[in-house]
Amino acid sequence: MASKKHIIELSVNGVRHEGLVEPRKTLADFLRDDLELTGTHLGCEHGVCGACTVMVNGEAVRSCLMFAVQASGQEITTIEGLATGGKLHPVQEAFWECHGMQCGFCTPGFVMSVYAFLKENPDPKEEEIRPALSGNLCRCTGYQNIVDAVRLAAEKMRETSAVPVPVAVKE
Amino acid sequence: MKPAPFEYFAPTSVEETCALLARYGDDAKILAGGQSLVPLLALRLAQPEVLIDINPVRELDYIQANSDGLSIGAGTRHRTVERSSAVREQFPLLSAGIEWIGHPQIRNRGTVGGSLAHADPAAELPALALALDATFTVIDANGSERTLTSDEFFVSFLTTALGSGELLREISFPAFPAGSGWSFREVALRHGDFALVGVAAIVTLDNTQACSDVRIALFGVGETAVRSRSAEKVLIGQKPDKQVIATAASEIIKDIQPLSDVHATSAYRQYVARNLVEQALTEAIQRAL
Amino acid sequence: MAISGSVIGNYVGVSVKRVEDPRFLTGQGRYVDDFKFPNMTHAAFLRSPYPHAHITVDASKARAFPGVVAVFTAADLVGVVNPIQIDASLPGSKPLPHTALASDKVRFVGDPIAMVVADSRYIAEDAIELIQVDYDLIPPVPSMDVALDPASAPLYEEAGDNIAYHDTFTCGDLDEAFNAADRVLTETFRQHRYINVPMETRGGVATYDTFTGELTYYVATQAHNAMRFFLGAQLNLPGHRIRVIAPDIGGAFGLKFGVYREDMLVAAAAMQTGRPVKWIEDRRENLTAGGHAREDTLTLEAAVKNDGTILGLKVKMILDAGAYQVTPLNPALFTTIVRMVLPGPYRFLNYAFDATVVTTNKAPYVAYRGPWAVETWVREGLADIIARELGLDPVEVRRKNLITKEEQPYKNALGLAIERISARETLERAVEMADIPHFREEQKRLRADGRVVGFGLATFIEPAPGGADYMAAMGGGKEPAIVKIDPTGHVTAYTTQVPHGQSHETTLAQIVATELGVPFEHVKVVHGDTQMGPFSLFGTGGSRAATMASGAALFATREVKKQVLQIAGAMLEASPDDLEIVNSIVSVRGVPQKAIPLAQIAMLVYLAPANLPPGSPTELIGMYAYDGGEGGWAQATHCCWVEIDPSNGKVEITRYLVVEDCGTMINPAVVEGQVRGGTAQGIGGVLYEHAIYDENGQFLTSTFMDYLVPTATEIPPIEIEHLETPPISPVNFRGVGEGGAICAPPAVVNAISDALSIKITEQPLPPTRILELMGAIPEEK
Repeated sequence: MASKKHIIELSVNGVRHEGLVEPRKTLADFLRDDLELTGTHLGCEHGVCGACTVMVNGEAVRSCLMFAVQASGQEITTIEGLATGGKLHPVQEAFWECHGMQCGFCTPGFVMSVYAFLKENPDPKEEEIRPALSGNLCRCTGYQNIVDAVRLAAEKMRETSAVPVPVAVKE
Repeated sequence: MKPAPFEYFAPTSVEETCALLARYGDDAKILAGGQSLVPLLALRLAQPEVLIDINPVRELDYIQANSDGLSIGAGTRHRTVERSSAVREQFPLLSAGIEWIGHPQIRNRGTVGGSLAHADPAAELPALALALDATFTVIDANGSERTLTSDEFFVSFLTTALGSGELLREISFPAFPAGSGWSFREVALRHGDFALVGVAAIVTLDNTQACSDVRIALFGVGETAVRSRSAEKVLIGQKPDKQVIATAASEIIKDIQPLSDVHATSAYRQYVARNLVEQALTEAIQRAL
Repeated sequence: MAISGSVIGNYVGVSVKRVEDPRFLTGQGRYVDDFKFPNMTHAAFLRSPYPHAHITVDASKARAFPGVVAVFTAADLVGVVNPIQIDASLPGSKPLPHTALASDKVRFVGDPIAMVVADSRYIAEDAIELIQVDYDLIPPVPSMDVALDPASAPLYEEAGDNIAYHDTFTCGDLDEAFNAADRVLTETFRQHRYINVPMETRGGVATYDTFTGELTYYVATQAHNAMRFFLGAQLNLPGHRIRVIAPDIGGAFGLKFGVYREDMLVAAAAMQTGRPVKWIEDRRENLTAGGHAREDTLTLEAAVKNDGTILGLKVKMILDAGAYQVTPLNPALFTTIVRMVLPGPYRFLNYAFDATVVTTNKAPYVAYRGPWAVETWVREGLADIIARELGLDPVEVRRKNLITKEEQPYKNALGLAIERISARETLERAVEMADIPHFREEQKRLRADGRVVGFGLATFIEPAPGGADYMAAMGGGKEPAIVKIDPTGHVTAYTTQVPHGQSHETTLAQIVATELGVPFEHVKVVHGDTQMGPFSLFGTGGSRAATMASGAALFATREVKKQVLQIAGAMLEASPDDLEIVNSIVSVRGVPQKAIPLAQIAMLVYLAPANLPPGSPTELIGMYAYDGGEGGWAQATHCCWVEIDPSNGKVEITRYLVVEDCGTMINPAVVEGQVRGGTAQGIGGVLYEHAIYDENGQFLTSTFMDYLVPTATEIPPIEIEHLETPPISPVNFRGVGEGGAICAPPAVVNAISDALSIKITEQPLPPTRILELMGAIPEEK
């Protein structure tokens, strides 16, 4: 017997949304199915591969390990929210320039994780980069170009002033 | 891999949480960080009827440090502990160990209480708790509290002394003994994995440079994390040289019963545990000097 | 170094930024799970928890569950989905008939028994728990050894036993070779079972128009035309009533080549319910039932001289094919490829190959990035063993056996012409860059300190796509392409390739733009829709695209360019041979004032053809089916340096070098990405990945907690040095997709063997195994 649904209200990429969800519906599925933001991908649904990485209140989180009901009242940023005004974020630009993807499936998760990492650690030491990436799996690239992309993104982000992430719309 | 249906509650206070636990007892599971629980739900290995989400219970999220030691609310995120300068200064062993928990994305959500209550024998925190002589404050549905030692808290595989209807509220760490050195060592197959084997060690030297206190906690070595009292005994009162350390490391075999699984055999864990203890003691003593 | 596509002119050899990337970077990629249709339902499968059993199924409770649209068992689909039987025309092969859903028996843990179609995947999974199945257990066949025992319970009663295929081959004079040998070395190599694990699992969305009787299947597939062809056969649908669309695909590495039982079932469900049906495989299904790869055991008997020359080789191969064959590939085919390619770049001509394929209660055997890769491992492992046994330098053993430039074209033991290979040259360059003598000094010094370090290398060639005779042996399929210029003078190229990471939207545009003389941004590559573009059964796989698809695109472009130049020549009153197209302007070479924009020509052709000179082409389409020309081989030498921590058996790769030759590189960044990605998977296979069944046939590694995929901290930086065999034809591009995964495992194993100073003929080599091999801990059981 399906359980009672809950009404949720949350901000995603600066836009306020409402939803009616079963408690067991994951945040990942809510984003993909209810909000049709399909950039967040499901690679394992048990919290290992990182393809589902989004930001919750500015922290990188595996959205397959959160329920949509838990996101009520929170601010979520997905891959769709990173580029602003049609302009790619420096992290996205860096991935492009460094050929940091092949099939693209792990890419949104990596971009969000890298974005979160560089926000906290804008000038990472070389030996800090690979461990910071170890929470995301890629099968295509062998990771080298992704490491290059992190380095280049850090450079770009230090050069330009911080690119603002869309802020939640106040009611 | 979708979870089975459950009812969901999001209390905002410890009192409310206890009331819910009283009502639903064994039918309910506490949802803290979700990093261990939600995969089990997704795989349908756990199918609780009720989930009590304690993330909104802000009163469980705190770090209090003073000269007596450290108290951490059970709902405190690993990341908060990782970033805490107070913890780094007063409990460097804890800081060091916390960094080994999974990946930043896991530490952003996972909680100290959640990890300890889950009691995975290959996890870092139970062993850290044992090494630091942590005590556990547990509150029941009536609001009464009791305190358990680490030995009392960890019972067996994924099993703690938490009774039906009880909530872990706080974990306390007595002040790190003065004149102590520490070491944290772990072997995992990949960066961020659960340990194959690990050690958290503290060695306290007196003014003659003999060991006055030794704590050797191992994880990945059986059904729970374990303090190797046989190894600790070897060192007490001794000036620790290479020989003594080696002897102590050999004694751990009396206290551990590592298992075999797809990742490593028990023989492997035994062998590596011994080497890790030797390395950890050497490092801890170095730090103490 | 990525360069923007605004460089005019020659894009070949340039690491142009990919056109695929912007949509992937912004979450606008369209993978199969991103498709939503009105009234769409979701499918989930009840899968057997037992490896071998007779079954009876009662789905009544599930059918009654709220939100369930339909539940199908094998009985419900008789006459809807035809029984499955892979072509057994390979001599020595037994037919293994089965049904899409298990009918009376299950043959592996994960075998699909019933399909639930419901309003959501959540509900479908709830309903699955209500299906009642009685399992009458049959003794399991959990391994090759048990399968070879005639007393083992046959998975297919019709087969009589668990031997699905057996064939032998001999050539040359083995008796003479073995008589002339100074030593006969016998070694058994055990390659373990591991899995492709693309980040996107399998999946498809089937929609069926009940009025027109048309099925449209959006599916993550590497071969959309093959999917259409075989679905039609299985569902009794004529070809023109099936459309297959392969959207963006999140990797495959061979896993998405087949037409799976699930594909047939999802399509059938759409046809039966009249509603769109989506099935997205979850990761547990993917690891358990999606298909496994590589489990082979090879026993080699080598006749060798004291100087390391291999005079003759006898090989006995056993391949563990699991419980089912995946349409359309009979796994026996892989043994024939292994047989053909095993001699590789070595000279020996006396050769015997005995191949057996067994059925076991395991997931079906699928192709994985160089599915014949075991041949490189055993040959390169053997070379190192020869060196060890005879006290020779491993490099010298290879020098003794590698075909030289002067010997080519060289007819190998299988009668295949080996020509224009540069395996030897990659070895020599690698040896130069590796400075092995320096390493040996270092090794001595470090060993005195108790450290454990080693160096290993491996050399290989792969048919990418192989010489003309190899391609003929593989069926000789031609690769078609169509290049069209539209009324605005922009270009669309249609390929039968189905890229899933290979960058064809970029690389083929580079070729077309260069060949035609238009800016890179003016070319669009269309792929993946059977309704658009030409037909080829192959799709993407087998390292063919670089040669086959590029060649097809190149020659198709030449065709359309001819049409343009014919018109332009008449308009400019010049011979087409004197014309050139640069930056979309057609002009007389050396006389820039005599010019017409391509757009103007296109406009005339489509909108005002009456104004064209008489005899002009009436449209601008170039079509070409490329046979591969003389084809070719790709090659590389991989070098691996390791340090092993004796206190815990962990292997660290301290340096990794690839010297590769794939001919002319279209996009060097793409080539390097393929090499590094393949190498990472090879490293993963040796050190981290293992699909494990226990002695009861229970599958033990069904989640990412158990099946370990390497992360950025486990894969080292990989140095790549490129050699380019000089071109003799305009199509000098060789495939490079599979090489990394083929050549990395032997390089890593040889390095570990060198570090431990012991012979190693097994994989995988996780820390436990390393310590066992070192004698530091006892073996279990």
